[in-house]
Amino acid sequence: MYDFEYHKPGSLADAVKLLSADPDARPISGGQTLLPALKHRLNKPTSVVDLSGIAELKGIKKEGNKLVIGALAKHFEVATSPEVKAAIPALAQMAGTIGDTQVRNRGTIGGSVANNDPAADYPSAVLGLNATIVTDKRRIAADDFFQGMFTTALEPGELLVAIEFPIPEKAGYAKMRNPASRYVMAGAFIAKTGGAVRVAINGAGPGVFRQTEMETALAANWSPDAVANIKQDADGLNSDIHGSAEYRAHLVTVMAKRAIAAAG
Amino acid sequence: MTRLIVNGAEQVVAAPPEARLSTVLRDGLGLTGTKIGCDAGDCGACTVLVDGAQVCACLVPLGQAEGARVQTVEGLAADPMGAALQHAFQAHGAAQCGYCTPGMLMAAMEVLQASPRPAEAQVMAALGGVLCRCTGYRKIVTAVMEAHRFLDAPAAPLPEAGQAVGARMGRADGWPKLDGREAYGADAAPADALWLRPVRSPHAHARFTLGDTAPLLARHPGLERVLAAADVPGRNGYGIYPDIKDQAVFAEGLVRYRGDVVCALVGTREAVEAVRVEELPLDWEVLPPLAEPGAALAEGAPALHERWPDNVLTTGRVRRGDAAAALAASVHVAEGRWQTSFVEHAYVEPEAGWARRVGDRIEVFASTQAPYMDLEEVAGVLGLPHAAVRIVPTACGGGFGGKLDVAVQPMLAIAAWLLRRSVRATWSRSESMASSTKRHPARIEARAGCDAEGRLTALEFEGIYDTGAYASWGPTVAGRVPAHSTGPYRVPHVRSRARAVLTNNPPSGAFRGFGVPQAAIAQEALWDRLADAAGIDRLEFRLINALRAGDATATGQVIAASAGLPACLEALRPRWAALREEAAAENAAGGPLRHGVGIACMWYGIGNTGMSNPSTMRITLEPGGRLAFHNGAVDIGQGSTTVLLQIAADALGLPASAFALVLGDTDLTADAGKTSASRQTFVSGRAAMEAGLALRDAILLRANAGPEGRLALSDGMLTVDGRPLHLEAPLEGLGRFDPPTVPLDADGQGVPYATYGFAAQIAALAVDTELGTIRLKRIVAAHDVGRAINPLLVEGQIEGGIAQGIGLALMEEYLPGRTENLHDYLIPTVGDVPAIESILIEDPEPLGPYGAKGIGEPALVPTAPAIFSAIRDATGAEINRIPALPHRVLEAIRRKEGAG
Repeated sequence: MYDFEYHKPGSLADAVKLLSADPDARPISGGQTLLPALKHRLNKPTSVVDLSGIAELKGIKKEGNKLVIGALAKHFEVATSPEVKAAIPALAQMAGTIGDTQVRNRGTIGGSVANNDPAADYPSAVLGLNATIVTDKRRIAADDFFQGMFTTALEPGELLVAIEFPIPEKAGYAKMRNPASRYVMAGAFIAKTGGAVRVAINGAGPGVFRQTEMETALAANWSPDAVANIKQDADGLNSDIHGSAEYRAHLVTVMAKRAIAAAG
Repeated sequence: MTRLIVNGAEQVVAAPPEARLSTVLRDGLGLTGTKIGCDAGDCGACTVLVDGAQVCACLVPLGQAEGARVQTVEGLAADPMGAALQHAFQAHGAAQCGYCTPGMLMAAMEVLQASPRPAEAQVMAALGGVLCRCTGYRKIVTAVMEAHRFLDAPAAPLPEAGQAVGARMGRADGWPKLDGREAYGADAAPADALWLRPVRSPHAHARFTLGDTAPLLARHPGLERVLAAADVPGRNGYGIYPDIKDQAVFAEGLVRYRGDVVCALVGTREAVEAVRVEELPLDWEVLPPLAEPGAALAEGAPALHERWPDNVLTTGRVRRGDAAAALAASVHVAEGRWQTSFVEHAYVEPEAGWARRVGDRIEVFASTQAPYMDLEEVAGVLGLPHAAVRIVPTACGGGFGGKLDVAVQPMLAIAAWLLRRSVRATWSRSESMASSTKRHPARIEARAGCDAEGRLTALEFEGIYDTGAYASWGPTVAGRVPAHSTGPYRVPHVRSRARAVLTNNPPSGAFRGFGVPQAAIAQEALWDRLADAAGIDRLEFRLINALRAGDATATGQVIAASAGLPACLEALRPRWAALREEAAAENAAGGPLRHGVGIACMWYGIGNTGMSNPSTMRITLEPGGRLAFHNGAVDIGQGSTTVLLQIAADALGLPASAFALVLGDTDLTADAGKTSASRQTFVSGRAAMEAGLALRDAILLRANAGPEGRLALSDGMLTVDGRPLHLEAPLEGLGRFDPPTVPLDADGQGVPYATYGFAAQIAALAVDTELGTIRLKRIVAAHDVGRAINPLLVEGQIEGGIAQGIGLALMEEYLPGRTENLHDYLIPTVGDVPAIESILIEDPEPLGPYGAKGIGEPALVPTAPAIFSAIRDATGAEINRIPALPHRVLEAIRRKEGAG
């Protein structure tokens, strides 16, 4: 570790002020990603703004046909929340499989979505459910939010406040974790919301993306068979020590089938 | 100032808010029971409860713990359920090295606070983020599920005199591992010790120059010294073999792998950590590396070391009969090629220790498996006589062969000697992984034949083992492999060769099995194919060929006794039939999951290959009645402290509880040899038995009692058959044992080992044929251990060995420079280890103490081949690139389908 300033603001406005004043400041919520990065000096902020004391970022509630989850909601809270389990069980199930217990006890949905790690789980739920990202400044559609590996539409100093998930008729998530790294090699979050089908794929590419060919097929026929013969193009997918792009492309189809089966 | 409630007491700490909670607990509050294994949230060793929820303390900035309730292992005993959990861990043998134990206990407490009688699935989920490399997790899971039974139960009584051997006794050194008191390499250094930080090569092969470091020292107040090659007072080289000291403490202008040490910074912790590597006056000339053995063996390849111009470190051979002719005459022949990967030991405790100069002597306290070898290395690099060096092993948080080589010891000794200050060091996880030895990656080609009745006729075996940049234990591996290349079977004609080849990779050294696990993968795959070709059941095929007492091995050794493989296979037979039936029924249902059952056997020579490896044990009885067992065998978690005590107790005729333990300090204990080659129970155990018997004889002589005399010791008074015996002077029982062997000749003929462990294991699993993933369902392990001195600890070795075998088979592949952490390189977690049934076969070894032989390495060897046998059974796919990662399994399935 090395020296940096540590701030713990009590309000969203104070946090935004601190982050806006210093372009090299970084927000921290659960710390499960930032702290290891600091240790390895992959990230060298001049100051760290601890969001954990900001009440406006907390809470999970149902508002009409939407589920609104505050940025500071821990994975454990999402996994066990009666509201989430009732409204979007696939999201609760996903949250219960992120990392290990220690990560789920600290890591937050806002941190995960804002970080946009290609192997993270939540981005596919956000994209697959066509959620809206609420920041301190504006509302951003999921389709506009994710912009590739570790990149989002958030501007410097802009803070993710909450995520609004429309409640779907059906939703399912399936993922394959690499046994050696536990990284998601490919995951599929598939939802039917207001009659529209969205298929979001995480893990396989440099960022979460929609599989539109599968969406079209599922809109006509909501069953695993509808996607069984749709081959994902391997072009542009990740290829690394854990598996080739071709292997990941193969997994996309298998995970899509299993996500549909899970959604029922 | 930050306020915390730690174990119920308010604490106000002055550390900055960005400090990690783990550091604050250890360094600020002295609560060193919380361990650090990776400092990156991967290993879970630092797991504590914050407001009742388990967290990695290394990923909690102090500022986020303001006002929180923090519970650590030190506070556990005050909570009734916490105390019950500790008792459950002790009774179930759930702690081995103990380094992950505080984290495990705290993770378990999270679930126990919510559900005092948790279901297995709840426990598995709760423990999923804490890595254990020793136990295989099963005994931990059981202990957590059973903790409630210990809420009111008194601790189990220790065995009576004469009842220790064979008892399921809890570890004699167990409690300090459960309450946070155990001091490991990083826990006990004096507060004023300086810190040493090595600077390592980022290149696999390069020349370098280190310029003037004076400006650096001037820039960093608190930085006391930059040590480099010229500062080494004695020989700048170390290595396992007395005549091969090829690894420099500080490289001399040339580095041969990522991890070679260029220099070391010594100073205050803040000062050595503040130095950026870019600040050092280092000039590099990067050279092309020899990245794998093929390149190193190629004609015209540059020599890594002048001493080995062809880059071949050692060649081991066994030749018997005429293998080529016998193969040509065989009814069935099978052949194949296999390739395995580097495997990291991944002990959860990184290398750590400290050293101090006491007058003209040097004292080194470090986590080690081999104190007397450390003593020789430290004496060598300091140019001191052996008598001037004292090595005190700290508790060892796992070794598995990796802590047989020195790590911190020579550097710390040099620094403490020159600076006349205490100096400490702890490797970071990445540094540990980059610098430490690995399991040899092997490329094996093998061919075997049998006759129409399934009797093996011949084996040809050619192994190329990537031994990395330095010799380390490479010669041992190359020597051991050919002697084991037939497996535990009668094979009349053998031509076997293993070569250790130098490359610019990390040094491959000793890792549980010394090359034998890699060879077993090839052998056992061949037997499956031959069994199928001959139309014989795979278990029965092995039984037909199993070595029995009276048979000769490929080295010409006639196994006189204790060859329990047939008994192992017969014990497995009913489970084999039942599991195969189960798999067939499940497969009948169809679907992408295919179920399979596999089997593999192993043998393992106990102790060094055809070389002396003695052990000396000493028991003393003072006139005041103090009975002390001086035991220099290092217990790295496997349990030798307990097992040797059980043996000594029964040999002497007093209960284990009567002994004071004097452990592993080269000033106080005799050389017991290293903790390796599964030798401590057999070799040191026999020495302990002899020591106990010798002291008993001395006592009986003085008491004028017969050989059946009953001893008792209470309140410092020794009685023999009820009559007090007053001693004028201390009595001593000395025991020494060196297993009889005959060195191997040029054809590998001789008696390499005095005895062998034998085993057979069954793996039952399901293959997801759409993904290539494997789900293990069950392992059944039958091991001939001669005599189980402590069945609880033997099971612990079997389960832990199986877990490492699972890692070798299915997930672990170390890539230098790319997987130097525990998130890119993961070891099996609690969810990866299935139910394990252990069956102990006791075919007594006449040379062993009460018939016992070793179990440490035998446990691991058959697991990977049994898994591959099961994958083949399930899908027909042959696994020959290891580990069997999902994409490789899927490829193998497709190859099979394509060929089919």
